[in-house]
Amino acid sequence: MALMEVRNLVKRFPVRGGVLNRVIGHVHAVSDVSFDVHKGETLGVVGESGCGKSTLGKMLIRLIEPTSGTIRYEGKDITTLDHVELMPFRRTMQIIFQDPYSSLNPRLTVRSLLREAIAFHRIVPRAEMDEYITNLIRKVGLRADAADKFPHEFSGGQRQRIGIARALATRPEFIVADEPVSALDVSIQAQVLNLLMDLKDEFGLTLVFISHDLKVIQHFCDRVMVMYLGRAVEMMPCLDLDEQARHPYSKALLGANPIDDPSDRRPLTILQGDVPSPFNVPKGCPFTGRCPEVIDRCREEMPPAVSHSDGHLVACWVASEGVAECQRGA
Amino acid sequence: MTGRLLRSRGARKFRRNRLAMAALGVILLYFATAVFLFFGGVSMEATKERVAPKHTPGFFQTPDLDQRLAFAMHFISEVDSATRLASRRDQHPHDILVEKALAERRPARLEPQRYDELLDEAFGILEEELDLVDNIADHPELEPRVERVEEIAAAFFPMPTGWEGRAYWSRTFLGSDAAGQSISIRAIYSIKVAFQIGLITSVISVLFGSLLGAAAAFFGGWVDHAITWVFSTLSSIPYLVLLSVLIVVFFGTIFDDPERPFLSLVPIYVAFCSTFWIGPCRVIRGETMKIKELEYVQAATAIGFGRVYILLKHVIPNTAHLMFINFSLLFIGAIKSEVILSFLGLGVKGQASWGIMIRDAKDEVASYFFWQIGAATFLMFVLVLAFNIFTDALQDAFDPRHVD
Repeated sequence: MALMEVRNLVKRFPVRGGVLNRVIGHVHAVSDVSFDVHKGETLGVVGESGCGKSTLGKMLIRLIEPTSGTIRYEGKDITTLDHVELMPFRRTMQIIFQDPYSSLNPRLTVRSLLREAIAFHRIVPRAEMDEYITNLIRKVGLRADAADKFPHEFSGGQRQRIGIARALATRPEFIVADEPVSALDVSIQAQVLNLLMDLKDEFGLTLVFISHDLKVIQHFCDRVMVMYLGRAVEMMPCLDLDEQARHPYSKALLGANPIDDPSDRRPLTILQGDVPSPFNVPKGCPFTGRCPEVIDRCREEMPPAVSHSDGHLVACWVASEGVAECQRGA
Repeated sequence: MTGRLLRSRGARKFRRNRLAMAALGVILLYFATAVFLFFGGVSMEATKERVAPKHTPGFFQTPDLDQRLAFAMHFISEVDSATRLASRRDQHPHDILVEKALAERRPARLEPQRYDELLDEAFGILEEELDLVDNIADHPELEPRVERVEEIAAAFFPMPTGWEGRAYWSRTFLGSDAAGQSISIRAIYSIKVAFQIGLITSVISVLFGSLLGAAAAFFGGWVDHAITWVFSTLSSIPYLVLLSVLIVVFFGTIFDDPERPFLSLVPIYVAFCSTFWIGPCRVIRGETMKIKELEYVQAATAIGFGRVYILLKHVIPNTAHLMFINFSLLFIGAIKSEVILSFLGLGVKGQASWGIMIRDAKDEVASYFFWQIGAATFLMFVLVLAFNIFTDALQDAFDPRHVD
């Protein structure tokens, strides 16, 4: 059974305007997204800026309330829980943020920000607190004397490690990593990614890894979900990504990926046009305006997610043509 | 918290600013004086005590012969009426004169007949040599005679010497006002009144305003609407009008009693606090709107903390720099407003205040008597200037957008 089952998740942000400050429309951040997260895996979510991947990630741990749809964690629907009922899930589900500068309260030392979380969930008895904190800090690759420093005394990479330590402090099982390395230098990115990988194995974590960088996803994840304008357009195992990607948008993303081998040249498809505004989503497939393979049907109807092979879902009329049983995927 | 603040980057930047450190020194000096006064360093009676004949000029100006004669005559006529009263009651004139002492300048105890001798001599000079002269100031040749009258006055009321002399000098070096009260004592005592009003109103306003502003922005919805409505309504009422209304409301109660100097300031506290909190409330509301979207607030939510805890622990402490700046702006604003209101007669009652001194000095300035207005405005000017420099430096040092 999947650890987390997400069904038809929707998030619309109301847009207010006019003299009376009335709702004049909605921004469709996430539209009808369904997927499963299996225990112990790392699910990558990839897409360009504004495609709703961060909103999705924050909805998974109820930092943002979904407009509709359900999120089941170990079979329990967490979208309807109130603050108190949610408490055990707050402990088991954590998040790592993108910006290591705004994600740490500048007025708290590392020790106090970790202690706050640990004491709140009573993870360890008071007497073992200091030892637990020291261990945690060592685990994320910082020296023990970092505990009594303030965030501004650290570099970006170190701050991100502190952010990871905070996420791990409550002994979670499920972590949403919201572009955890996008704000870091490439050399530091690798360190933090390796750290995350080690910690994932050590603590048996399940990760949802959000990124706009396919390279990072391929390196790090078991499965990948490609998002475009609030919709999941393709979902597949990471290993097959290079050869098996079917959706034109996934192929364009892969094509834009720099290759470190000059002899390996592939035809490059450069997307034309812009992402349509999420305020005014076109009918049919959102990718029609930029898709090189667009057919008339795309403009009329949103393509369903079709299972191409085991664990490979594609939402595209063209790519799914000829796939024998057009069964609706989960 | 305090230690952190002193070690912070902003504090280091502030310490490098020499002008700001000098301003801080001046402020601390004022503050020390205010504390000293608050714990009774100078009693309120001392500000009302007669220390010299009225309008004695301060140390800068030598009085002309006319004035010198008038000051000497003040003492001689006191002695004159005392001796008459004494002979009728069969008392020693000294017993009556002790009542007329001007602070440390006390009457000398002379032989009873010596009073009459000296008085005769003084009146002799006055009536025979000086009375016919129109304007003594135009006749420098008469100076020895005026000096003689002064000597007689000093014989009756000798100038104190030693420590008493120094104490007397400190009371009179800025002269005296129309009631013979010491200008220096009143000007210094006003520091206490100013600080009392400045500190109480700015501390209450900043704490109250910041808390409401942060709550408004953080909780949003109806909380925000309600608080915004209250402060936009209140800010349309000038505090002068509010204060006038409050004075009417408090009229005749214990808050209107000049004998209770502390309570008589309550209408001012209420008027100032109820309008001054709007400034910090607006600023902190804006800052909180920004902070509540930051990821560390989301991280705190993800851990499961309650909203109120997040507000108190993660949001409000990060607005502290704005609270400091607002505090120092309001502090000086309150002092200036107090002076203006006292000048108008709506403010401080029954005790010294720079505003009252400036009001009293209105008519003196025309006759070239500057000590009262000079002392009051100088002390206020230095304090306001020091605070403005201090606030600017605080802003420079703690505003994260100012990076050097």
